[in-house]
Amino acid sequence: MRKMFVVFKREYLERVRSKWFLVATILGPVFLGLITVLPIALASKTKSSDQLSNVIIIDATGSDLGSRVQQSLAATTPQAPVPQLRAVKAEHVAAAERRATTDVMGHEALGYMVLDANTTAGKEMRYAGRNATALIDVDNIERIVRQSLLAQRLEREGIDASRVAALTAVKLNAKTEKITDKGKEGASGIASFFFGYGIALVLYMMIAIYGQSIMRGVLEEKTTRVAEVVVSSVKPDTLLAGKILGSGLVAVTQVTAWLAMTFLMYQARGPILQKFGVPAIASASLKIPSVAPLVGVALLLFFVLGFILYAALFGAVGAMVSNQEDVQQAATPVMLLLITSLIFMQPILLNPSNTLAKVMSWMPFSAPLMMPLRMALIAIPWYEIVGALLSVAVGCWIAIWLSARIYRVGLLMYGKKPSMRELGRWIQRA
Amino acid sequence: MSEPAVRISNVTKRFDATVAVRDLSLVVPTGSVYGLLGPNGAGKTTTIRMMLDIIGPDSGTISIFGRPHLDPSVLDKIGYLPEERGLYKKMQVRRVLRFLAELKGVPPKEADKRINRWLDRLGLITDEKDWGNAKIDELSRGMQQKVQFIGTLVHEPDLVILDEPFSGLDPINSQALKDTVLELKRDGKTVIFSTHLMDNAERLCDSVCIIAHGEKVLDGEVAAVKESRGTRSVALSIDGDARDGVRGVLQDRRLVARADDQNRFFEIELATGADPQELLNRLIASGARIRRFELVSPSLHQIFLERVGAQGVELGMSGHA
Repeated sequence: MRKMFVVFKREYLERVRSKWFLVATILGPVFLGLITVLPIALASKTKSSDQLSNVIIIDATGSDLGSRVQQSLAATTPQAPVPQLRAVKAEHVAAAERRATTDVMGHEALGYMVLDANTTAGKEMRYAGRNATALIDVDNIERIVRQSLLAQRLEREGIDASRVAALTAVKLNAKTEKITDKGKEGASGIASFFFGYGIALVLYMMIAIYGQSIMRGVLEEKTTRVAEVVVSSVKPDTLLAGKILGSGLVAVTQVTAWLAMTFLMYQARGPILQKFGVPAIASASLKIPSVAPLVGVALLLFFVLGFILYAALFGAVGAMVSNQEDVQQAATPVMLLLITSLIFMQPILLNPSNTLAKVMSWMPFSAPLMMPLRMALIAIPWYEIVGALLSVAVGCWIAIWLSARIYRVGLLMYGKKPSMRELGRWIQRA
Repeated sequence: MSEPAVRISNVTKRFDATVAVRDLSLVVPTGSVYGLLGPNGAGKTTTIRMMLDIIGPDSGTISIFGRPHLDPSVLDKIGYLPEERGLYKKMQVRRVLRFLAELKGVPPKEADKRINRWLDRLGLITDEKDWGNAKIDELSRGMQQKVQFIGTLVHEPDLVILDEPFSGLDPINSQALKDTVLELKRDGKTVIFSTHLMDNAERLCDSVCIIAHGEKVLDGEVAAVKESRGTRSVALSIDGDARDGVRGVLQDRRLVARADDQNRFFEIELATGADPQELLNRLIASGARIRRFELVSPSLHQIFLERVGAQGVELGMSGHA
């Protein structure tokens, strides 16, 4: 126990003292803050192009639809040129499109749209232009054409033009809220989506970064041959345990620092967001989903167990090989286990209660990421959480048992990377 | 007499198909300097690692100061310098040493005091620079070896085990190491070191054990080992260029069983029943100018070659690997 503490202390202090740790700890929340703030900043800032009206309208409807669209569009961006209206016969559309394409290529317009019989029928319109991939621009153009068409139809039915304008001016945004078994939660559905995503991603990052740093640490002890001096004083198992716990505490330290800084940034979110040009109302709507204490404990347990599981495996990989060239290759199976969870994150985010999600949140190697993710999205019965925790604990125990044996033999073994069969013999021999 | 520092009884260790150590027994008296001698691959390092419980024997027992070597308190009394040396490259010298000392149970404050004393003594604290605050990889190779040596001794172990300590040392550091070994002995510590350099062993060791192919060839006090071989050896030095004539004489198997030719010096093992006087006469007749002709006990080197060489032949003939 005393010796494990000595190993633990060295591991912790040497890592915390490193420059990398300092940089990552400070830059982490800044980065996190940016990815939280940017979507909001973008959402409130994202206007359609200020040249939206600088387009060519090819009108083959033979009606006044073209000029209606022209007027509405011109109103959206008063400082930009007014749309050029080109009324053509249906059979000349192709030629008109060719000309319009040349104009766009020559920077005389941003794009062109085609209004024809299909448009009048309410089925489709076509738009081609430099901003054709800007969803918000296309969305706006669609909306304007739709409203113009609607106005045209209503007027034909004999409704007064000024009334039409008033009636069709509908701007509707959906404000979403999430309902769980416990009732409504204050935060929006999007927020808890990002929260779940964020937690799983942070867990993944911590496990991948610190797990691999243990692997490199073990390899360093091997390549510098300091391992033999150390194991003449302390048993390999104790050494491995001390290393895992030391690095684990470094990870916890880092996350705690991140949380503290994130909390401070959240408190000061108004002024910060204003710097990004986000109005106060939007920043008030940014809420961190509340985490119940028990959920917090479960999250911590998942993190600790998941970290130990992967750290033990990475430690064994570090002891298996003797040089930097082999280590990445040897780590591939462990990385694959971890990345599998990451790959399934997207489908599970979209559908957190299907069978795939359930299976993934019970497997020891994916549960530490998947269960917290699902817990953030939907309400999970307590017995599923406890069951998943037990499953991870069992997986953890097996990983430690295997790793300790590989570690014991591998630490003083130099030469080429062992094959699976040799590895099996190591496990037997230890 | 007190408990022996190390008692190894019938220890065997296999690695897959090969036997690294076979039925080895030896006793290291407390307070002695003990040499573990043998060619490369003889099983010296394996034996040492088993003493330290870095690897476990397949069978047999090891006790250290009268206690089973698995006893956790035993490890803290041993200082170990492995053959392949190395330290954490990015760590400060003082922190590495404190870590090693604390692993052996030295309290941090006491460790700091001892580390400073050692750094000062080995010239790592000078007026212009305190190397204790430098990182390991800023140190020269010689300095790193000194630091490693401090790491071996900082917890004041009763038993010091050095695996091939002379390899890679320059003559000055080599001499410093010999002085330190003798100093440790004066302080009542036990020192075990392995080597394949017989000259060092012969001068430093009180007792030796020669092993080859994982088996003990012989062991005991150096004086007794040499005595048991009798004075069937001749030390011969010659002047001038009469080497051809001399060599002719030395190839006479009726007189000479084996001659170790070191150019101007020969160590000669007499054939059974040969008369040294006759050898001397023959050498004079060959025209050599003789500086030295002395009946001596065989050197460890000679014994080593004789025993290990012979065993190699036996093994070859019996077909065992």
